[in-house]
Amino acid sequence: MRHVTLYLGAGLIGVIVAMAVVGTFWTPYPPDAVVGPGLQPPSAEHWLGTDGLGGDIFSRLLSGARICLLIGIGSVVAAAVVGVPVGIFSGMVRGWVGEIPARLSDILYGFPALLLAILFAAALGGSTWTATMAIALASIPAFVRIARAATLQVMSQGYIEAARVSGTPRTAVAARHVLPNIAPAVGVQLSVSVGLAILAEAGLSYLGLGSGPETPTWGRMLREAQTYVFSAPQLALWPGLAIAVATLGFNLLGDGLRDLLDPRLREIR
Amino acid sequence: MRRARTLGIVAALLLSTLLGACTQPLEQDTGASTLEIGATGEPAGLDMITVSGAGTPFVLLYNVYETLVKLDGDGNIRPLLASEWTTSQDNTVYTFTLDHGARFASGTDVTAAAVVASFERSRSDEATDQIRAKWAVVDAIEAIGDDTVEVTLTQASNRWLYEMTGPAGIVADPTGDADLNTSPAGSGPYEFVSWDEGASIELRANDGYWGTPARFDEVTFRYYADPNAMNTAMLAGQLDIISNLTTPQAIEQFADESRFKVYEGTTDGEVVLGFNHRTEALQDLKVGQAINHAIDRQALVDAVWGGKGTLIGSMVPPTDPWYEDLSDTYPYDPDEARRLLAEAGYADGLTLRLRVPNLPYGPPSGRFVAAQLEEVGITVELDELEFPARWLELVFTNHDYDMTVVAHVEPRDLDAFANPDYYWGYDNPRFQRLIAEADAGTWEEQVTKLQEAARILAEDAAADWLFLLPNIVVTTTDISGIQANQISLSFDLTTIAARS
Repeated sequence: MRHVTLYLGAGLIGVIVAMAVVGTFWTPYPPDAVVGPGLQPPSAEHWLGTDGLGGDIFSRLLSGARICLLIGIGSVVAAAVVGVPVGIFSGMVRGWVGEIPARLSDILYGFPALLLAILFAAALGGSTWTATMAIALASIPAFVRIARAATLQVMSQGYIEAARVSGTPRTAVAARHVLPNIAPAVGVQLSVSVGLAILAEAGLSYLGLGSGPETPTWGRMLREAQTYVFSAPQLALWPGLAIAVATLGFNLLGDGLRDLLDPRLREIR
Repeated sequence: MRRARTLGIVAALLLSTLLGACTQPLEQDTGASTLEIGATGEPAGLDMITVSGAGTPFVLLYNVYETLVKLDGDGNIRPLLASEWTTSQDNTVYTFTLDHGARFASGTDVTAAAVVASFERSRSDEATDQIRAKWAVVDAIEAIGDDTVEVTLTQASNRWLYEMTGPAGIVADPTGDADLNTSPAGSGPYEFVSWDEGASIELRANDGYWGTPARFDEVTFRYYADPNAMNTAMLAGQLDIISNLTTPQAIEQFADESRFKVYEGTTDGEVVLGFNHRTEALQDLKVGQAINHAIDRQALVDAVWGGKGTLIGSMVPPTDPWYEDLSDTYPYDPDEARRLLAEAGYADGLTLRLRVPNLPYGPPSGRFVAAQLEEVGITVELDELEFPARWLELVFTNHDYDMTVVAHVEPRDLDAFANPDYYWGYDNPRFQRLIAEADAGTWEEQVTKLQEAARILAEDAAADWLFLLPNIVVTTTDISGIQANQISLSFDLTTIAARS
């Protein structure tokens, strides 16, 4: 079977997306409500049991899927919207003018992504918005790098020279010739970055720097489970599993896309 | 579930034993008796006059430093450095007679001059605002001869003598090192040895102690940033005592009675769902009462604090002489809450901001309270603030909140409600008068007036007292003499002994 990672990745993401869609319209109980005694084992009423405060774990898990996808995809798209044009610019313009954005983004790359996000979220206080911004900021350098490398490769092709000789403006070259040709590389990076962003969001929430307490994110659920790590270790299992499935899904999808679109891209990464 | 728990404990045990084996060579038995105490709040400095925080007196009060009078395990004031004291007819002049045998660890006598020097320092600009405030009522401090100290107050104050049992009343060795912040010097049964910042404080027995000799040769307070690490160290046998278990959910780990003894007592830490009385809706008595009726406090303690904690109903812990059980003033009754809200004109709903600090009890209490208030039609905007900086700025200083949840751990802090500028903004002249009269009156008057004051707070629904933090002490089975209730600020070593 070919493209097994692609299908597996898409399948796992499908599970998360389905959870997010269902969770938006229906949860067995309100995710914020206290619905009974705490630490109940799984039962017919509470499919995954209740957490320490008596909230329904399944409801919280469902409603956490939406925020996880929202922040994961939102931040990465924002990062791509900024990073890709910068990368293309830096790849097309020769000399120091093109070098500057590339070096700046290298400096940004020098900071560990999660640390950068923590710094950002700590300075502005934790919320869904700052978490998204922080993760977006930390994801930008990867897009600059990928876009620049792919652009440099494209720029050496004959058709670019032909377009330039015929007087096509640079912006038109970028839009018509460069962007479509680097799209596969960017697409792969998008998928991989979403996986990392979901992990980063869980990390920020776990540290209390993510969405507010009214939003039951998976990272927050992990944090709440920490108190019960010896007495009720199953509390950490469900959000941990959900984070693992989402991250793995996007990573596998990224790998699968790379194999599908352009096997040579493997050299770049 | 049971198997999972056992597995977890086995894994933790294995891990801690391995780690222990790597870092600490097994101690040789030298015949010296040692005591290893696990603790959480490390001091910020060692001079409790110039450095605030409960971490410093926890280690040093009564152990290294002594006071003229001492608070015993039942909350009574007892002689310590002063063998006796008398008061003038109008209770404004206190005359203390020092114990003749009292000596500092350096060997010099505890003289009246040394006491006056310490007291003057304690009320000077050098001291923290908190310490200095305890001396506000004092007019003059005088040494009469070598062994008598006379303190004159501007007005009678029951509170003042009580404060003398705490950090404000410690007597330091005037011949000791200049910097008490790094080398504390007192007259207690233990001497300070060293402070390994971020890790531990070591004390050793004061061989020339003037009172009952210390029962241990060496005592070490070990500090843990992560309570789970402290629990693991206890399970691994590296500690003799956990001075306060801050994760009551973990208490089951110490269920093995052949190895551990668990003491459950009370503290002075009232976990208060505080109302901002400047918020329009919360100025209405019915709204405050509705909130009190809407929250099932027993269920909250069960969910948030492992069921460990006492329901109090007002700002008085059971260890204070004027305690009355007021926890039934507003029984859990959502229908009554809805009715009161409707009467107050909020039948269509009400939105309040609940801003909790990110302390262990904060977010879970916030979530629980929010869920229960939503049930009766109050929409809660829950917000988590970093403690101390953000919480102090927004809630405590700027009063930019409607409700918050904070544990008030200072002893006898009922009078915090008498200050209308405090962050709650509770302003009741009758309450303020009672507090003042209680301070100036006789002992019996103090008790009855403070009882009345506590009842007023409950009737006014000035706040919702969610629960009183428990004091959970875990020891190995050979330790005895633990005081279950944390009444003073000291972890008093003088009553603790080990069977060997």
